[in-house]
Amino acid sequence: MHEVLLFASVPAHQHYELLQQLAGLTAMQPRHCLERRLIFKAYRKPGLMAGRTGASQDIQSGDLQRLNKMLNGSMYYTQVVGPVTEKDFGAAIDSDMHMDGTDEKPEAYRYDYEHQPWRLEFRDIPEAGTRSAVTSRQMSSSSLPSGDVMPVMSAWGYNFVNEHVVEGDLFVHNEIVIFLQRVLQYPTDQEPSQPRQQMPPLKDMMPLEKSGSYVLQASITVQDGSNQETMKLASQHLFGLREQLKSVIRLEQADRLSLDTRAK
Amino acid sequence: MADSFTLPLRPLIEDRDRPDTLPAEIAQINNQWGSFRDVNEEVLRTKIAEEYKDDLDEDENNKNASDLDSTERLEQLYKRRKDIIDFATQAHMEAMFAVDFISLLLSKDTPRQAETSMSPFLKQIAPLGSLNAEVVNPPPKPDSTTKDISAVSRGWRIQNFNGAANKLLQAASRLETEVASETRYWNEVLTVKEKGWKVSRLPREKQALGVQYGFLEATPIFRDRGLASLRRAENGSLILDKGLIPAKARFVRVRVMQDGQLVGLSNSTTPTNDEETIESRILQARDTLYEEELFHELVREARATASYGVTTRRNLIRIPASDNLEILLDLVDANENDPQPDQDISQNGTRIAEGLSHTIRILLAYAHRQNLHRRTLLPLPLTPRKRTIPEHQLFRPALAYIQHMSHVLWLQSFLKDISGVLHSAALDIPAYTKHVFSTRLTKTSSTPTAEAVVERFLVPFESTFSGKLLTPRGSFSIAIRTYLSSPPFGTNFEVSCTMPDYPDSKSPGRLSLREEVEAAITHLLLLDVVFTTSSNGLPPPKPEKDTKENPVWEAVYPQHGELVLSSSNPEKHKKIKIALSRHELSLQTYTVRCIDGSGRGHWEQPSQTPKHYTWGTPLACHQSLMAVVREASS
Repeated sequence: MHEVLLFASVPAHQHYELLQQLAGLTAMQPRHCLERRLIFKAYRKPGLMAGRTGASQDIQSGDLQRLNKMLNGSMYYTQVVGPVTEKDFGAAIDSDMHMDGTDEKPEAYRYDYEHQPWRLEFRDIPEAGTRSAVTSRQMSSSSLPSGDVMPVMSAWGYNFVNEHVVEGDLFVHNEIVIFLQRVLQYPTDQEPSQPRQQMPPLKDMMPLEKSGSYVLQASITVQDGSNQETMKLASQHLFGLREQLKSVIRLEQADRLSLDTRAK
Repeated sequence: MADSFTLPLRPLIEDRDRPDTLPAEIAQINNQWGSFRDVNEEVLRTKIAEEYKDDLDEDENNKNASDLDSTERLEQLYKRRKDIIDFATQAHMEAMFAVDFISLLLSKDTPRQAETSMSPFLKQIAPLGSLNAEVVNPPPKPDSTTKDISAVSRGWRIQNFNGAANKLLQAASRLETEVASETRYWNEVLTVKEKGWKVSRLPREKQALGVQYGFLEATPIFRDRGLASLRRAENGSLILDKGLIPAKARFVRVRVMQDGQLVGLSNSTTPTNDEETIESRILQARDTLYEEELFHELVREARATASYGVTTRRNLIRIPASDNLEILLDLVDANENDPQPDQDISQNGTRIAEGLSHTIRILLAYAHRQNLHRRTLLPLPLTPRKRTIPEHQLFRPALAYIQHMSHVLWLQSFLKDISGVLHSAALDIPAYTKHVFSTRLTKTSSTPTAEAVVERFLVPFESTFSGKLLTPRGSFSIAIRTYLSSPPFGTNFEVSCTMPDYPDSKSPGRLSLREEVEAAITHLLLLDVVFTTSSNGLPPPKPEKDTKENPVWEAVYPQHGELVLSSSNPEKHKKIKIALSRHELSLQTYTVRCIDGSGRGHWEQPSQTPKHYTWGTPLACHQSLMAVVREASS
């Protein structure tokens, strides 16, 4: 699948007004979203370097060629996304540590890491050399087993890098998904080696952009990226939105290299 | 405010109409007639006489003129003509002189232009530019002339001021009416807005206001029609301008026909009030839009359900509901007089019609909510194929309900009939229990109550009947399920039974025809009656009799309701044949001369006239079935 995108930067003071305007445009109430995003980096397992690097005369069979391509192809960062709610922040960890149960309130909400649903999102580097004024890139999403993702991800050859939280509001305008979002960072400085079991209160989360500004992302997912007609149609829809929002914000293509997901 | 601030726009006019002062008049008379001293009677008389004579002279002249003969008249005519020509020539010459003079004067400044209007004679004798003009100080005008000029200019000024004042006052009054009508217009717009309608600028016509009364989730063509502009009439009242759409109120009428007769009719949902407020007009426009969308969706659904026998004409949907019931839906004008007489309309039919008309409207509102829900979901990836929107379920649930009720009522009446037949034969079959609409919904907490209520109506309907049989531990159950929105379409009956005494009996399973169900249940009850008869159809064995020779009614062919009481004499086997139908239970007893008594058909030779007993008919037997069986066995 492909996705076609346009971005705009929204200063913090315009945020509320823009929410109202988007609600009017899309005729729907904003859907508030909070997502944990875990960043993973692929690495090459040392034993699996099967390619022969020397000058070899023998011709590789097709399967072997494909396998080699897969194994020696470029490596990517991927992210694992888990939707959370506001209640999950600052909630006590769900564990059986307090076995006496006398001082616990039974109605206290607990964040259940063991049942946290996850979704693996892969985004390629945006396509280069397209004439169109939109960002288009290959993408894929698939759901993961809920709970602890570390064993799964490390089995697939991914290292945990970092995590952050994205908060924002989602609108749907025909085929266009408009996501007005900003990145929140965890308050502590140290880099954890695995995803957190427990989350700090939401008010302690620091926006990555200190001014508190938001990013507006308008995207259309296209089933078949090789179909030029559909891609063109999707771009035209985005341009239509750009025209409609022209007096409010400036939607534009993102810098290709800033969306580079390749792991060096 | 207008009273406190008045600005005099007209000039103040002095009262000039008073007569001239007496001395002026005396001076005028002195000037004209001489001194008053000379006036005496004689002078005045001669004066009057002179005036009289003048009048007479004029009359005489006129008379003479008419007396002139034609030659003189002709002469006079020529003379006059000559005079006219002379005058004209003279005028022409004077004009030419004037032109020459002006041309000569102008030839100093613009020689080329002036030369064109000069006469050739003048060109010869006077060189160009030989005449000049200069402004000289005019001689001082006499006082009277100055006075005249000032009086005339004053008059002109006053006249112009008057004109200007009139124009201003006209403009003011026009502005006043304009302001009044604008005020009225905006007040009405405000009332509309305060009532909660969305008032906005029209997207196509930026300077006009519009009111949105349509439904955001409706089908696009109807969604876009839900906007009308608010225009201002001459007097400032609001006009709802819907463009080309006719302003008539229309609604979907539901008619219920039974055996081709109209038995029920739904009325217009909106009260037609005669007072034409803008609010009522907006409401009417909204309702009509809703009704038209409803009809559009109904037609769409009717086309999709053509397999049920639903037919659509241009403006009519005909739905065969159940048995002899037919439902007609059409879009009619709200104030159209109903030509049908009201005599045939029954309360039940009206109830069905009203219920159906409410149902389809509620379901359309529910469909709107579903549209909103679908629209705000994350969209699927874009593909070249266009996705079609499935038809809304509007009349299908109601239709399913009617069909389901009809089947339930039929089954109820059938069970009542057949248990009545059994009761009349003193077979006390236990009463059955029924659960009509026993479908249970798993309520999800996320859906609002209003939607959850409607959802109950959209699932397949299910009713269950269950009861016990005459034979101990025997029971039956019938489940009726009606599906109209998902396959398998239609109604089916699931009949199941347990008869421990007759292990060969199998549940008939899923049936879809009433005849099949009737046959299955009748057969089941027949088996039940047969086994009951065989188990306790005999009088209790007498203690003095030998117990091992105790004869037993043996169910030889239970499917055919045949029982045999074997006897030691092969010619004297006794046989009972029981037949059960919806309306009667019949029993036949006879003796057969077969070896084992179990022969059938032409092998069976009744030895004596068979005896007939029937129950459930007017000629019913008064004994109970068991009593007859006991009698036959003795």
